[in-house]
Amino acid sequence: MNRRVPWPELALAALSAAAAAALVVAGVSSSESSGTVEQRAHAVASTLKCPVCHDLSAADSPAPVAQQMRAQIAEELRAGRTPDQIRAEFVASYGEWILLSPPQRGFDLLPWLAPAFLGVAGLVVTGLAIRGWTSGGGTSGTSPVETIEADRHLVENALASLEADLE
Amino acid sequence: MKTRWAAACAVLVTVALAGLLLGLGLTHDPNRLPATLVGRSAPDFELATIDGSQRIQLRSLRGDVVVLNFWASWCLACQSEEPALEDAFTRYRDRGVVVLGISFQDSATDARSYAARNAIPWPLLADPGSRTGLAYGVTGLPETYFIGPDGRVALKQAGPVSMQVVDGEVKRLQAGPPP
Repeated sequence: MNRRVPWPELALAALSAAAAAALVVAGVSSSESSGTVEQRAHAVASTLKCPVCHDLSAADSPAPVAQQMRAQIAEELRAGRTPDQIRAEFVASYGEWILLSPPQRGFDLLPWLAPAFLGVAGLVVTGLAIRGWTSGGGTSGTSPVETIEADRHLVENALASLEADLE
Repeated sequence: MKTRWAAACAVLVTVALAGLLLGLGLTHDPNRLPATLVGRSAPDFELATIDGSQRIQLRSLRGDVVVLNFWASWCLACQSEEPALEDAFTRYRDRGVVVLGISFQDSATDARSYAARNAIPWPLLADPGSRTGLAYGVTGLPETYFIGPDGRVALKQAGPVSMQVVDGEVKRLQAGPPP
């Protein structure tokens, strides 16, 4: 009845999720370094907020200032500046809130690590719960066999009592 | 029993972490944006006036107090601060204070006709491609930057400025840093 918690499988699933996240990050950064200048400018703009919009990137916003940001980014890419240098310029003017993703350092690491931490915590809780259920550790501390015996005893007593009452 | 304690601890840590993040989120107003330029050198620019009559370079104004106002003809709040800017321009123009307007997100035609209609006396500069507005981190209009004689940004005022704010800041910058 005791079933082993599949720790290797769970670890494999966690590693797969981490690898998928790494691939997404790699995809974003590679789109900044390949393609036409417009495509690269779009990729850089997608990492910056539109300063006059709510929750829209400079790549997605139709606002004139976002269009001008895209034009400026394209111009700077043509001039040989790197995406990181361009982002640093916008951060110098606006502050770090202009970045759509928080920088991966200091306290700002928290939102990067929290999902992984919460995912692992969820797996641990689920694993512990499954182990508790499959190891027969019920809430009363008695095994299922003992419970059935106790129930049978109660039923027999009740039947005996009923027969006695009928007689 | 040990298993249950471990599970309870994991849940408690998770809830505590979520509570901490929520608490930190509630302590700051997302609408208040930091003025990153304050205390730093004001980004230099050389821009033509909207009528094309002259070019002004910020660096050439070193030694003066500069009141740099971003505005647009469609901006209603900008109209409400015009008396304060005009007052500063009139009173301090010969006393080492330069008032400049930079048209932001506006067409040259609209900016010119607005300036003519309202007889704005201080120089109004065109900002092609909003390069200067982006360099100053403008997020909305009006925004006014007070630049000291040393070329550093002393104050950023988001929203209309009042006469008291302009007057107080200009006097403070002219007096220099406290000993």
